[in-house]
Amino acid sequence: MSSDRKVRVLVAKPGLDGHDRGARVVAYGLRDAGFEVIYTGLRQSPEQIATAAVQEDVDVIGLSVLSGAHLALTRKVIETLGTLGGADIPILIGGLIPEGDKPALREMGVAEVFTAGTPISSIASFIESRISNA
Amino acid sequence: MSEEEMERIAEAEERWQREVLEPRVKRFKIEKSPTRFYTPTASRDFDFMEKVGFPGQYPFTAGNNPFDFWRAHAEAAAKLGMRPDAPGGGAGAGRYSGYGTPEDYRDYQLRMQSLGSRGGPNVAFDLVTQCGYDSDSPNALGEVGRVGVALDSFRDFQIIYEAFTGERDIDKVASNFTINAPAAVIIAMYAALAEKRGIPLEVLRGTPQNDILKEFIARGTYIFPPGPSMRLFRDTLVFCRKHLPKLNVTSIGGYHIREAGATRIQDLAFSLAIGCTYLQAGVDAGLDIDDFAPMVTFNAFGGSMELYHEVAFQRAARRMWARLVKERFGATNPRGMMIRQPIGAHIGCTSTTLQRPLNNLARAVVGGVASGMVGALPAVYPPFDEPLGLGHGLEAIQLQVDATRILIYEAGVANVNDPWAGSYFMESLTDETEAAAQWEFDKIDGMGGVVAAIESGYMQRAIAKSAYERQKRIESQEELMVGVNCFTGEKEFEVKVERVEDELYDPGQMATAEERQCAKLAEIRRERDGKAVSRALGVLETSARDEGANLMSDLIDCVKSEATIQEISDVLRGVFGEAEPVKL
Repeated sequence: MSSDRKVRVLVAKPGLDGHDRGARVVAYGLRDAGFEVIYTGLRQSPEQIATAAVQEDVDVIGLSVLSGAHLALTRKVIETLGTLGGADIPILIGGLIPEGDKPALREMGVAEVFTAGTPISSIASFIESRISNA
Repeated sequence: MSEEEMERIAEAEERWQREVLEPRVKRFKIEKSPTRFYTPTASRDFDFMEKVGFPGQYPFTAGNNPFDFWRAHAEAAAKLGMRPDAPGGGAGAGRYSGYGTPEDYRDYQLRMQSLGSRGGPNVAFDLVTQCGYDSDSPNALGEVGRVGVALDSFRDFQIIYEAFTGERDIDKVASNFTINAPAAVIIAMYAALAEKRGIPLEVLRGTPQNDILKEFIARGTYIFPPGPSMRLFRDTLVFCRKHLPKLNVTSIGGYHIREAGATRIQDLAFSLAIGCTYLQAGVDAGLDIDDFAPMVTFNAFGGSMELYHEVAFQRAARRMWARLVKERFGATNPRGMMIRQPIGAHIGCTSTTLQRPLNNLARAVVGGVASGMVGALPAVYPPFDEPLGLGHGLEAIQLQVDATRILIYEAGVANVNDPWAGSYFMESLTDETEAAAQWEFDKIDGMGGVVAAIESGYMQRAIAKSAYERQKRIESQEELMVGVNCFTGEKEFEVKVERVEDELYDPGQMATAEERQCAKLAEIRRERDGKAVSRALGVLETSARDEGANLMSDLIDCVKSEATIQEISDVLRGVFGEAEPVKL
């Protein structure tokens, strides 16, 4: 990654969940932290998200789900990324994620799960360390 | 109070600041006083009859009634072990619930009835249904039966109601439907069910949420653009007034707007502006404001840990709504001027924390105290396990209900109407809240009203900005949350919570809901008369193109033909178009 290019983050709301407070707040916060942020808006299909991520050449994807559909939707995003050649894009999950589902998400290849109360600064530092180590 | 007396107090106040307060601020080496003391100078032109009045009388600042039904019989209920104090119901419907397939939800209702639940269903629908899709749509992935019960067709609706017959038939219990964009379709199903059971429509009671405008600002389960959405609202309103006179028409949800990040003032202004838009739709349709305003209800609104502000908010809201209905719409029926809502003040679910979650019980009690102080059931809400994402456990619900009882019976919170009436502080805070909300309300009026303010993206962006401002205050420790951004050190003891009781919602059923629901949907599609479905949908399309037509009778025909929610919504999508989500 060349140093003159900002780290590019796709913040996405997969599925039908309309609770986008967290997604928007994280999008604003990461933008203020110096990232280039693309926010998809509500109701994006996993295919739309994976396609946008590859087309926009993003460095990281943040998915926000509060409806309980996180396992199925994340699996589908990862599958589609694989077919589009984006398997190496790290995925972060936020939202209402029961503790017991975290191992399954990690198993799928999710880089990290950030639940309620996480400061945006922690998400930003996670992304920075992840990108610089890549 | 005489001018002279007021001046005497003002002088004394100034002296007190100089001689007592300021030296203390200096002594503790702080910039300014962390506390405030209020005197009569805070609300100099306070007029009791204009600003407060009596409980049950205009402008309803002191409450809609001197006491409600539950309070009248609270002591008797305690001695008999009855449960009029269980929060979460409202208007005769039971606890808000819904998951899995209609069969799962029917069986859940039967189980709850065996545990003592009375009342009708208070239905949470899954997001697939709320967004007008069928369970086998690609858009439904992972969502079927998750946040509520899956429902594709009238057959599903009837399955749910298999738990409501005899003593609990729909001529005896009320039903609540938390659904907005397809609310007209659900009301059509309710009417079709009554017809099938030989029950006259005019006895049906209940409340569809049917508050589509706030979906564009918060919650996000819109389908059609705001304009055509308001046409559907109008059709439900006109139809209900004519045929289902006991059905509330809408439950306006300010708390969703607050939870989505709005400030208290934005929440109050936006909610009241939305309410006025619904009233205007009725007036424009030729209805009598005194006839239909009483059927416009509110869900909870407000919601924060700031006890004093929440009390002021509820007082200001009641007064503002009463004035709007009376002065803007010329109403004379006092019932239409009241904010009727199932709960009063509360903390809002976003005040709960995942960190040391049992603390949420302490937090919710603060909301219960506020609620009791504004003349409502001192409902402790939500249960402490709210942020865990597992549904409310029976233990958490028991503690919530008991906390409410403790506030009623032991603390006597609900023994006084508007205990803050006349408080220099509270009257001044109520005035400030009202003035700020009125300014924001007028601003929306100036933009051409709520529909225009949604179409331009103003409301959506305004609350996203407020949400971010709050997050920054939390991250900078300007706002403190215990266990989240302070008191998080190693010396704090991590209180673990274990859930021992069975899950109320069977996770196994939820896991297989999509598969079972899709199989049944395929069966319905095979069994139904396809030609009748096409015919009904064709008539609906023709009517939809005529803005003046009321779609309810066509929707009832569609529902009876077993056209699915998505088939009906797709016809309307074709005519109305679809709403576009707002970007950053």
